[in-house]
Amino acid sequence: MNKVSRWVWGAAIGVYAFLYLPLAIVVLFSFNDSNLNAEWVGFTLKWYVMLFNDEVMLEAALNTLGIGLVTCVVATVLGTLAGYAMYKWRLRLLPVLVLTPIAIPEILMGVSLLIFFVMLNMTLGLVSITLSHIAFCIGFVAIVVRSRLQGMDESLVEAARDLGASPAMAFRKITLPLIMPGIIAGALMAFTLSIDDFVISFFTAGVGSNTLPLEIYSRVKVPMKLNPEVNAVSTLLMMLTLSLILIVSRVAPNALRAE
Amino acid sequence: MSKPVYGRVGRFAKWLISAPPLVYLLIFFALPALIMMFAAFRFPGDYGGLLPLTEVDPETGKQTVLITLDTWRDYLTFENFGRFFEDAIYLELFIKSFWYAGLTTLICLILAYPLSWLIARSNKKTRDLLVLLVILPFWSNFLIRVYAWMIILGPQSYFSRMLNGFLGWFGIEPVSLLFSQFAVIIGLVYVHLPFMVLPLYANLEKHDMSLLDAAQDLGANAWQRFWKVTWPLSLPGVWAGVALVFIPALGMFAIPDLLGGTNSMMIGNLIKQQFLDSRDWPFGSVLSIMLTLSVLLLAAVAAWAGSRHKKKD
Amino acid sequence: MKYWLVMLALLAGTAQAADELNLFNWNNAVAPATIKKFEAQCRCKVKETYFGSMEEALAKLSAGAKGFDVIGPSNYGIPPLAKQGLLQPLDKAKLPNLKNLNPAFANTPLDPNNQYSVPYDFTVTLVGYNATKLKEIGVQADTWAVVFDPAILAKIRGKVTVLDDPREVIAAALRYNGFSANSTNPDELKKAIATIKAAKPYWAAFNSQSYIKELTLGNIWVALGYSNDMYQAQQDARAAKRAFQLAYGLQKEGNGMTADSFVISKSAPRPDLAIQFIHFMLEGQNAAEITNAIGAGNPNAAAKPFIRKELLAVPAINPDATQASRLEQLADQDGKTRRAWNKAWTELKLQR
Repeated sequence: MNKVSRWVWGAAIGVYAFLYLPLAIVVLFSFNDSNLNAEWVGFTLKWYVMLFNDEVMLEAALNTLGIGLVTCVVATVLGTLAGYAMYKWRLRLLPVLVLTPIAIPEILMGVSLLIFFVMLNMTLGLVSITLSHIAFCIGFVAIVVRSRLQGMDESLVEAARDLGASPAMAFRKITLPLIMPGIIAGALMAFTLSIDDFVISFFTAGVGSNTLPLEIYSRVKVPMKLNPEVNAVSTLLMMLTLSLILIVSRVAPNALRAE
Repeated sequence: MSKPVYGRVGRFAKWLISAPPLVYLLIFFALPALIMMFAAFRFPGDYGGLLPLTEVDPETGKQTVLITLDTWRDYLTFENFGRFFEDAIYLELFIKSFWYAGLTTLICLILAYPLSWLIARSNKKTRDLLVLLVILPFWSNFLIRVYAWMIILGPQSYFSRMLNGFLGWFGIEPVSLLFSQFAVIIGLVYVHLPFMVLPLYANLEKHDMSLLDAAQDLGANAWQRFWKVTWPLSLPGVWAGVALVFIPALGMFAIPDLLGGTNSMMIGNLIKQQFLDSRDWPFGSVLSIMLTLSVLLLAAVAAWAGSRHKKKD
Repeated sequence: MKYWLVMLALLAGTAQAADELNLFNWNNAVAPATIKKFEAQCRCKVKETYFGSMEEALAKLSAGAKGFDVIGPSNYGIPPLAKQGLLQPLDKAKLPNLKNLNPAFANTPLDPNNQYSVPYDFTVTLVGYNATKLKEIGVQADTWAVVFDPAILAKIRGKVTVLDDPREVIAAALRYNGFSANSTNPDELKKAIATIKAAKPYWAAFNSQSYIKELTLGNIWVALGYSNDMYQAQQDARAAKRAFQLAYGLQKEGNGMTADSFVISKSAPRPDLAIQFIHFMLEGQNAAEITNAIGAGNPNAAAKPFIRKELLAVPAINPDATQASRLEQLADQDGKTRRAWNKAWTELKLQR
């Protein structure tokens, strides 16, 4: 067992290194005194100074975070319901509707949502972006939650029911805590997908509703603006989200943990 | 499997639970997507978009419907589907994309399994932190992360120089890592890895350790314990991870654009090209339908095979 | 906070702030200082929305996105927008500054009589290169042969990138073969494709996004790209004190050229502010700030006195008469030609 676990540890550390190698470069270069973003020159904080004076970028970051959080909450609730329903009952339509948004090319989804919103005469903006993000995130949550439920021991739920718990009560007290790791995994994916989305956001964004990916991609053609300020905002957003999660888990420890 | 809940209460619960996601997806996904699916049967507009089916009089502002029972042939067609089948390059591109996505999924699975297993086995406090650490790098911007890979794979990086120094010992010509199929696969694996780790972790976390202990008591070695106990139990998680990596990887276009060389095009690039450079939305829709159908077909076959497998047991 | 305000506004159905000009344009095409100056003059607020690709912006507008007053498309985007009824004609009476326009850029086939558009900058598709390296090897970059001739490419194998854009690369190959960049002749297209096929094995990548960086780092020696990007690469290399020099210049066979223009959206909430803005941008000094900031060429004759001297010395920014005669504005293609080129491009990319 010891030899095996040493091997597993080694592999896991290797994978973490793979995940963090590019991130290290992103963070490191946010302190790099060169606008090339390609090789280490010297330490500076000027990109952070530039960032704090760049209203456009800060607003985009805030929009991104807001859209990400709302998307995460709504998609997680809807996705959990969908995942549970797909596990519990033999449904025809729902599984197809859950899988297709993942399979369909983003650009088709972006164009079709734009046409749809225009038909509804809806003002494009943060709301339309959020609605669209929720639509493509539900599937990710649902699939993870269902896989968590599969092969679950039903006897606990039945025991609770035998003891007089209502189905809703049994779900809340037994099933929900059991599938919590699946829900958290789904929520993390939904949040990640939302804050990183470009294509669908581009089409469903309206006048002045900028998100971070939209701002950064529009700078690709303007290399003088695609400088380490972008690394700085990435680093900052990451830290902000991390502290948000840590605070939530301190204030309400049970909200994030499966017990 | 699960017992169906019968009776009025059961039906009510079924409705209550499945309706919210169903209605949401019908409104904000199915309805809009159907508009564009329908576009597959229409003609492209001369200047982009689609050939309009209605016309607005610039003076009166009155709208007239152009498509009628007599004229529908001028507005609707199967030709776009014909174009897909008449040229082998589209099929070739599909096969290539399936191969890239399949390879990506396999590598992700191999990398993710030990990591997920370890996270699931660690104590409750570190577990949350380890999960968070998996996803944390993905809260930085996509483009910036890929640019970081371009630095790592670039010819002047320590990694490239070390590799080429090593190859030089064996008398092998130096290789260029950036702008190659190798770089595309690395990029695809990197951006999809958390979508394999998270479902796997969510599954492995619930495994009952006493089963493994029992197997050990019965004299099973580590490999047998994995292959006979852990692996079969983790299959739902594996399938979820495979779906969440394989399907998005199949439609990817940004990674081949950024890291690929002169022949790293994938089906996603072609679809993007149809909607943008070609301004040929109908053919873009045809390709999207083909891609979506092939994924659904694959999922149906997998589900069918899974249920057959279970019956045999 | 803002998010919830927007949500509330949407629910309440309140109208947006009145004195606001909405600009849909390339990021940074108009310098922030210029925007501030206009805001002070019109006593309004300018809100900018950006795009990073013309075709993305076209797809978005074709699908019906509204709310923009002024759009800043590349000129080949004007016909599709105009023909789809998405633009409104300019009221010339309100644009006395139109006289400042260089006649060579006025009244082009893409917008006869400037009915809809006023150009504000132009870029040339050309070759940017590592002058130090190419001198060492003895390769000249004043001809498209540096990108297309296998005999020359053999010396710089794997050190060349070209734009990931059939329109630009096939146009360059057409010029290399002595044809018009806007040719619709299938035989000429075939020749151009054959040229690209022969050259492709020597190229490192189709790259529209990062060639500036690769040039500056010295990873790539030759890149087929845009003049304003090459200007940027040159500046970056100098700032980073590279051991080599980057340069860019026109090719003797002639280059493709693309102007960008301001147009007014048909659904513009504030057409009055829109025309005011276009007029403002036609003033010599304001127009010159574009060139000074991004190193693009300038179609405004009155801008010249305000453009930095060293920029005026660059042929791609300020071509003389002979050079200008070899620049060919890329036309918008009809649907059939466009699809033929794109299909050829797909086949090229699939071929090993």
